[in-house]
This record gives sequence, C-alpha cells and structure tokens, in this order.
Amino acid sequence: MNRQMGAADRHRCLLVADFNLGNFAGLLGNDPEEPKVEVIGTPYGQVVPVLAPEGGGWREAPDCCLVWTRPEGVCESFGRLLAEEQVELEAVLGEVDEFAELLLDVAGRVKGLFAAAWWTPFLHRGYGMLDLRPGEGVGDVLLRMNLRLADRLGEADNAYLLDTRKWVETAGPAAFQPKLWYMGKIPFGQQVFAEAVRDLKAGLNGLDGRGRKLIVVDLDDTLWGGIVGEVGWEQLKLGGHDHVGEAFADFQRALKGLNRRGILLAIASKNEERVALEGIAQHPEMVLSLDDFAGWRIDWEDKAQNIADMVAELNLGLQSVVFIDDNPAERSRVREALPEVFVPEWPADPALYPSALLGLRCFDAPRVSVEDRQRSRMYAAERQRWETKRRVPSLQEWLDSLELKVEVEELGAANLPRAAQLLNRTNQMNLSTRRLSEGELRQWAEGSGRQVWVFHVSDRFGDSGLTGLASLERRGKEAQVVDFVLSCRVMGRQIEETMIHHLGQRAGKAGGERLLVELVPTAKNAPCRDFFFRVFQEEGGESRFVWELERDLPLPSHVELRKR
Amino acid sequence: MGNEEKVREIIHRVIDQINLQLAADQRLEKGETIPLFGEEGRLDSLGLVNLIVGVEGGIAEDFGTTVNLADEQLMARQDSPFRTVGSLVEYVTSLL
Repeated sequence: MNRQMGAADRHRCLLVADFNLGNFAGLLGNDPEEPKVEVIGTPYGQVVPVLAPEGGGWREAPDCCLVWTRPEGVCESFGRLLAEEQVELEAVLGEVDEFAELLLDVAGRVKGLFAAAWWTPFLHRGYGMLDLRPGEGVGDVLLRMNLRLADRLGEADNAYLLDTRKWVETAGPAAFQPKLWYMGKIPFGQQVFAEAVRDLKAGLNGLDGRGRKLIVVDLDDTLWGGIVGEVGWEQLKLGGHDHVGEAFADFQRALKGLNRRGILLAIASKNEERVALEGIAQHPEMVLSLDDFAGWRIDWEDKAQNIADMVAELNLGLQSVVFIDDNPAERSRVREALPEVFVPEWPADPALYPSALLGLRCFDAPRVSVEDRQRSRMYAAERQRWETKRRVPSLQEWLDSLELKVEVEELGAANLPRAAQLLNRTNQMNLSTRRLSEGELRQWAEGSGRQVWVFHVSDRFGDSGLTGLASLERRGKEAQVVDFVLSCRVMGRQIEETMIHHLGQRAGKAGGERLLVELVPTAKNAPCRDFFFRVFQEEGGESRFVWELERDLPLPSHVELRKR
Repeated sequence: MGNEEKVREIIHRVIDQINLQLAADQRLEKGETIPLFGEEGRLDSLGLVNLIVGVEGGIAEDFGTTVNLADEQLMARQDSPFRTVGSLVEYVTSLL
C-alpha cells in the first residue's frame, strides 16, 4: 500500500458507505481544487466486508478512506429504536464500539481515515420535546453515539470524525430529498455532498501539511471601520454600541482565536505607519494588540511586494499565506502577483466578516500542538531577536548574544505528536520530505539500526520548543542521515550545525566511519541542499554528500548542547 | 418567457448540476435532439434519478406546482420523454 505519498501527489480515496455514494464520488473526483482525489468506489451496503483487509478496494492501494454510514445501517439496535422499540443505551453503544474497532483497524492501513458523523434525515421531530431527554429521546441517543464514536476514533492519530451536521445546515431545505432516497438510495442532496467534498479536501490538505499558517490583513475597513489616516483613531468604527463596530470587533476576536490556535497574523496596509500603529495601540476597543502580529508592512508600497518581503522575513513560504483585504483591487493585485497566496473573496458587509473568516477551510491540521498555541509568542520573540540583530554589528556577535540552548532527546511517546507534525509540515530544511503519521514514524524508529532524535531550542528571548528532528540508519561502518528537519522559525542560528554535530558524534560512538546524506530534492528544500553543500563542501555533490567521521563536525561555539 | 422556455431553462440547470458529477467523457449535452436516456443516451440509472428529482424540484420552485416524473411506465415507453432534452421539455410543459 502506498502510505508515504508526497504532498504533491494525487490522493487515492476509498469510499465506503451503506447508501449510494455515487453522486458524492462524482463530485469528489471532478472537484478542481487541490488536492486532487482519485476515487476508489465500492458497492454500497457492504460496509463490513469492504472494510476488511481482503475487501476488493484495498487492492487499489488507497492512501485514505472515507466511511459514511447511516446510524441504523451499522447499529441494528438504533434501527429498532427508530421503530420506537425499547432499547438499552448500552446495547447501542456496544455496537458503536464494534464499528469503531473496525474503523480503527482501517486507520492502521491508511494515511488518513475519515468518518462522517451520523445524521438521521428522516427522523423529523423524533420524540418532540423529549427527543433530547436522556433515556427517552432518539436524538439524545444519536448524540451519544456520535460522541462515543468520536472518543473511540480519537484513539488513532489519523482518524477523524467529520461533522455532517454542518453540511446539512449549509444545504438547508435541499439537504434531504426523499425521492432521491426512495428511488436511488441517496440520502442527501447535492449540496450536502459538495460541502462534504470541501471538508474532506481541507482534511487531506491538513494531512499533507498544506494548512495555511499566516493571515495577512489590511487595516482600514478590514480590521476596523473607517480610514485611520483621515478620521483619526478616535473616530474608527470598532466595538461600542454600533452594529458595524461590533462586527469589526468580532472579526478581530475571530482572528485572535485563530492566532491562539497557532495561525500567525501580519498586517499589510497602505497607511502612515506611525498613525496606524498609534491606532492599534490607543483604540480602547482593539481586541488585537501589536504583540499579536508576527510582522507588518505599513507604508505606501505595493502590497504584493510587501507581503512577499514579510513572508520571506518570517521564513515562511507564500503557499502558507492567506490575504484578507476589503479592497477588490488589492485582492486582485495580490492574486495576480502572488498566485500561491490564498486570497478569499471578501464580503462587502462587515457583518459577514467574522463568518467569512471562520468559514475558511484552509487552516485544517491533523492536531494542534503546544508549539502551535505558543507560535505567536515565539514570533514576537523572533521580532525582538532581529531588532537586536540590527543593533549588533557582526553575525557572530549577534549569535553570541542569543545565549542559545539546544536540548536533544530520543523520539518517545511524549514528543511523538509534535515530532510527526514537524516532519509533515516542514518543507524548506527537510532532507527527504517524507510524510509519516505518528504510528508510521514510531514504527520506523523501532527498526534495527535506526534512531530518531528531536531538538528543543531556546534562547534568552524565549523557548521555540521542539523545532528540529534528525534520524540515522546505521549499516556497518556507514550511517545514513534519513531525516534532517528544522523548523524555519529557528533556521539561520546554526542549529543546523548543532544537529549535524550531534549526528556525527552519535554515529562515531556507534562505530561508524562515515556519514551519508542523500537529499531528495523538492521545489522547496533548496535551503537544505545549500546547508549540506556549505558544510560538506569538499565532499559535496548535488544531492549526495559524504563525511568521513575522522574529521570533526564542530559544535558552534555559541550553542550550549545538552541532553534533555 | 413562456412555460416551454422556463422548463427548458430548468432542465439545462439540472444538466449542469449532474455534469458536476460525471466524468468528462460522460457529460450530458443540451442539444434538443441529442439522445439523453436509453440505448444511445449517456444518462445511466443514477443520472436518471438525479434528472427526475432535479426537474421535479425545479418545477416546484419556479412554478409552485408539483409534477411526477418518477413513473416506471413512463421510463419504459418506446417514446419515453427522457429520450432527449427536447422530448423532456415537451412532456414536462404538457403537464403544466
């Protein structure tokens, strides 16, 4: 089975349902948005045999699987409940557990398993006012079934329960068309399936590490109402007893929420910097403060150029960026100049700003780590670092001033989630760009002659967290560097040299005589090639490097390296 | 716009929706006489269900009335209204 698919490849998705999923399959296969999906269809109504390893669809090597069932289709006792029979809750949940076991088994065979939460289109009002009463209502049982399924799927790091309710709500009255069911065993209308396609693709993008990481926002009439340079910050529409002001404040709250989740914020605005910054600092209803922004460009220059410069400074790629601006001309300019930047169409009415932001499907990630939640603070520290750099004359003096500490530890249960996340999200300083789930990484590390280390980086400005990962595979006198991954947040401080020093030490102590490095070139990992070319220059090649371990790989003098 | 034109518009709209689900070489054309369903038509049974439900829904929405196209005998007839877009337009218009 192909479970190590690169992010640029087409996904192969096995669709399993107890109803006719043909319409959904067609929409999914035709959808032009990335990532492209090749559909592997299966006969409907045969969920259990199809999900078994010997089921026909598995021969086609899917790398992901969507399982969409009706609750009464997989839980016989729930069907009886729908027929108003008396059924014990434990009996229903027991069947949910059995189904969950089946799904967890499938999760072990794919990169990502998606299940659609259960929904009952024809339930109508159920028991009416008793429908959500524990022990009496069918609606109550259905909620508990979904919760149990969510809990159980949480046992696998690559299994996700998608929220069918949202698709149904978005589709409105067109969500259910009884005739489609009776004639074609299709329980939902096309809009429900279209929403499901979008959510599935957002999830696949997240698994591929292609979730967006930075939102660049405009200021005037985007972050607040009015033009600060004309009316002054005191007259801006923001918060207060005004529906427009409240909408802008809510939009800022939504941005703040995303920021807490690990999405960085930045500003690109055509304004006088002093005036705009004063507005941010002084306006009493500002939800966001300057510390919430990883960077800003507030001047009269071209926004596209400003965004490109700012993104480069933040060591991110343009494919990580979302740009939000109320001005269609600015949106058009950025779309044209920076096609990798995602520029959503933006509503004219500020009342729709919060929902437009919260409805974006570009921030999905397989998990949210502690590092994600602290990312904004880390970037604020990074800004301070660079300000220090501007004041300090030489690079070495600046590095010396940082008081860098690198702690190294072996891959283990506690650091595995973040390690896998780093491996799957990092593009630039990434030797092989291989993408592995937590389970796959753990399994690989357990192989003979293999070791994986993770690196925690901190300095006097703050803790950058687990930002490096490297692995070795020893074969006799040779040690192959398999992974060499460093977050762009800490690149350029010779953490790279520290990591390769560590690998050299460990390989030498294990009896190795040479270190082999084979780079898998991608469109984005030129920084990794450049690093090895620079460090291993005498032995350098385009993508294959060799280091004789009789020669030292020195630890940079400004780094304190210790075991964690 | 007369009823026939309105019905034609509804059918074209439904064909656009169905085409979102079909592979490029299976997509339906809107020509009045191009075979739709039957031996020479591209529409399979799933597509026919989608067409029927889509057109019935469109008629209900635009005309505020219901028509029933889901009739086994209607589908099986030699001169089935689902033969072409033109025959379907004619049949649905006759029901209004």
